[in-house]
Amino acid sequence: MKPLTGAPSPAPLLEARAITVRFGGLEAVGGLDMAVARDAIHGLIGPNGAGKTTVLNVLTGFIRPTEGELVFDGAEIGGLGVNGFARRGLARTFQNIRLFGAMTVLESVLVGAHQRFSANALSLVFARRSARAAEAAMIARAYELLEFVGLGADVADRVATTLSYGHQRRVEIARALISAPKLLLLDEPLAGMNAVEKSEIADLVRQVRAQGIAVLLIEHDMQVVRRLCDHLTVLEYGRKLADGPPEDVLADPAVQAAYLGRAR
Amino acid sequence: MDYLGQLLANGLVLGAIYALAAVAFTLVYGVVRLVNFAFGELFMLGAFLTASLMLPEVRLLGTIVPMPGFSLPVAAAGAIALTAALGVLVDRIAYRPLRNAPRLAPLITSIAVSVVLQSLAQTVWGAEELRFPEFHLATLPPVVLFDSIYLSVMDLVVMATALAAMLGLSAFIARSSLGRAMRASAEDQMAATLVGIPVNRVVAAAFAIGSGFAALAGLLYAQTYGFAHSSMGFLPGLKALTAAVLGGIGSIPGAALGGLILGLVEALGSGYLPNGTAWKDAISFVLLVGLLYLRPQGLLGKPELNAAGRGSLLGGASEFGAAWLRAAFAKVDGGLTRAAAAGPRAALALLALAILVGLVVPSDYWLRILTMVVIYGMLASGLNVIVGFAGLLDLGFVAFWAVGSYLTSILFVLVLKDQFGVAPADIWWLLYLNLPLAGLLAAGFAVLLGTPTLRLRGDYLAIMTLGFGEIVRVVAINWMDLTNGPMGIRGIPAPNLFGIALGSPRAQFFFALALAVLVVFAIARLVRSYVGRAWVAIREDEEAAEAMGVPTARYKLYAYAASGFVGGFVGVFYAHSQQYISPLNFSLFENILLLMLVVLGGLGTFVGPFIGALIWIVFLQLALDLPFVQAYPETRFALLGVVLIVLMVFRPQGLAASARVALTMPGARPANAKEAA
Repeated sequence: MKPLTGAPSPAPLLEARAITVRFGGLEAVGGLDMAVARDAIHGLIGPNGAGKTTVLNVLTGFIRPTEGELVFDGAEIGGLGVNGFARRGLARTFQNIRLFGAMTVLESVLVGAHQRFSANALSLVFARRSARAAEAAMIARAYELLEFVGLGADVADRVATTLSYGHQRRVEIARALISAPKLLLLDEPLAGMNAVEKSEIADLVRQVRAQGIAVLLIEHDMQVVRRLCDHLTVLEYGRKLADGPPEDVLADPAVQAAYLGRAR
Repeated sequence: MDYLGQLLANGLVLGAIYALAAVAFTLVYGVVRLVNFAFGELFMLGAFLTASLMLPEVRLLGTIVPMPGFSLPVAAAGAIALTAALGVLVDRIAYRPLRNAPRLAPLITSIAVSVVLQSLAQTVWGAEELRFPEFHLATLPPVVLFDSIYLSVMDLVVMATALAAMLGLSAFIARSSLGRAMRASAEDQMAATLVGIPVNRVVAAAFAIGSGFAALAGLLYAQTYGFAHSSMGFLPGLKALTAAVLGGIGSIPGAALGGLILGLVEALGSGYLPNGTAWKDAISFVLLVGLLYLRPQGLLGKPELNAAGRGSLLGGASEFGAAWLRAAFAKVDGGLTRAAAAGPRAALALLALAILVGLVVPSDYWLRILTMVVIYGMLASGLNVIVGFAGLLDLGFVAFWAVGSYLTSILFVLVLKDQFGVAPADIWWLLYLNLPLAGLLAAGFAVLLGTPTLRLRGDYLAIMTLGFGEIVRVVAINWMDLTNGPMGIRGIPAPNLFGIALGSPRAQFFFALALAVLVVFAIARLVRSYVGRAWVAIREDEEAAEAMGVPTARYKLYAYAASGFVGGFVGVFYAHSQQYISPLNFSLFENILLLMLVVLGGLGTFVGPFIGALIWIVFLQLALDLPFVQAYPETRFALLGVVLIVLMVFRPQGLAASARVALTMPGARPANAKEAA
């Protein structure tokens, strides 16, 4: 399979600087600095309610931070709408799988390729050759990606929401990958999976990174996080508690205290 | 000053009535987040029931029935109680099963309920106005303020009643335990259920109180203007909804404030603007559209996130339904699935069948009816783009249709024939130019209408499009120089091709069929591409679509534009085929009818709109042979409404749901993938 993006360069792919999010009087995230490297599998962890999903929503444009700035691939992206984030190369999956009802697997995946189409209405109505070629290319790519995430071509025409939970997760990942992102954000990709499925998805994440796509993931399973991630950011009460390689971070007494609830 | 004072007094009376009805909308919206369009009809029933109870005898279903002849207060109490009970019944039957359904479902259902109630009222009380009996307070001499402002005693009674009802309701909500339960349910229904609040009973109470308020408003309105009529609830209902939105829907003080503002603005506008009385309905809707644009949460409302509900009518099947009903639908599904599997061959077979029918049907009468089927099928297809594929309720679609019809009629008749004396036959080609031109013009209007609504949630969007449609209708009625006003435009030439008149019913049928092929072909090509996938993604989950890089706002506009284009395009042919148009052709009812046809046939399918149009228009004619329908023609519309409610509850996908539309370009798949599938 050909790589999904160009060669990596040393500057961080995504940089969040002093991000603060307040909902009314409640500070969900306070002064968060974090950087995701171009070749990272970066884990965002922390106890329940630490603000992980809020951070992910900030990083995908769903929530506009009260303060702070976001630099992605060398450009400030804080002011863009959600689809602008996606167009710059940030693709995501959702904690509760959000596939489009009434769509087949193939169609769902193709929605992810939206930004890669450009035919105008007349070319579509008259099915000009360029429009047909673009469609055929994306459909071929969708089949490749379905195989890449471990689904056979035989599921392509099934209504996506009728698949098993694990397969729906994979469809979501394929849908995110077809946009040719630079960064893939996974919100609890292992939730509700058994050990075998977990290790399969972990392998998939490694393969994604091998394609030159950085991955940022929220995860609760520390076993998997320790083995899979090469960088961790720990949140507690919306603030950064620790940041660094997994073995250092997980050995940090403050992090252990946060997870095990010991007094600090 | 005297004139101003009198206008202000009139505005206050009207405002008090609007405020009462606005409370109905706001109360129910606050608790269940439903815009219950049927309150306009409960308003009307309040008036009819009160008048009937006050009279010694009433003609019901054509027979004279003796009535108790109560005085106004007793009759009003009885009517309010009856209407409240009816409101609860409607909630139980039509809305409660849809509590967790996508928002489009209860909205469509409430429109259907509205049609049922109005048709039944017309069946029972007849199409004529019922004079509202006089109450003895009304015969007292008017009160004169500042020597010049006349207020009848009943006007004062209206205002006092409205004030007392509002204060009473506020106290009830603030103090009583049911009121507390209502506020809790309004905040968070799930949490309210968890702490043991019987939410269904609370909702029923909200419907009872809301319906009572609507009835009270209706009877006061009828009392003030002296009559009751089956369609009297329509405009005041819209105004009350406007008032509720103006004040901030969900807020009771907001409803009061919105009602008063609307009443005053209308009274002052009709008093001071040139030809103001004619434009007064447009004033309220312009106010509504402007407000929704600038401050969608209303004056006193809390801003709500523009979080569209997830899921659509098509995504999941209903969990309700008796076994026999499911079995019946399963048969329909089986046939359609087989037909859909045949793909283009099925479409060609359908077309061949239509051509055959067009060739063999001997009667001109039936050919005209079949032409109407094709026209309504095309219009419904246009509406289907926005409602069925993009999942946005549009109650202003008729405006696009009107734009097309008026454009071609004005050009052919009012300008070229009347001003320049050009014979229509000499410029027959203009029709073919007008088709795309009107499409583009209507698409332009659609973008204009769509732009301010993009930020709005689904139900606000419906209200906004409805306001826009009404504005276009009021303009068509009142801008005499442009549109000939209510007289309409006569003498629109029949279609003509190279000097050959295509006026015969058979020629018109084939003309319509050719246009239908174009319309369906163009829509299908758009839908079966990344554009259609973006629309369906928006319909199913707007946020997720956005996260996948779909600029949802822009694609909603495209859906409006495409649907507007079809409306304008078909409107041109409609005018030439009818050869006469008037504002009556483009009423909100037509829009509702088109919506029902789409829902009946199947939202988001290509054949659905035509199936819906065929079933309905043919039924409309065939039913005329039944003696019962001859006596009560309105019952046909009541039946359509009932069918719609049943469909929404038991089968929201419509009849043709299994003719699921593929969203990829035909022939664009790799060969090996086809085998695998």
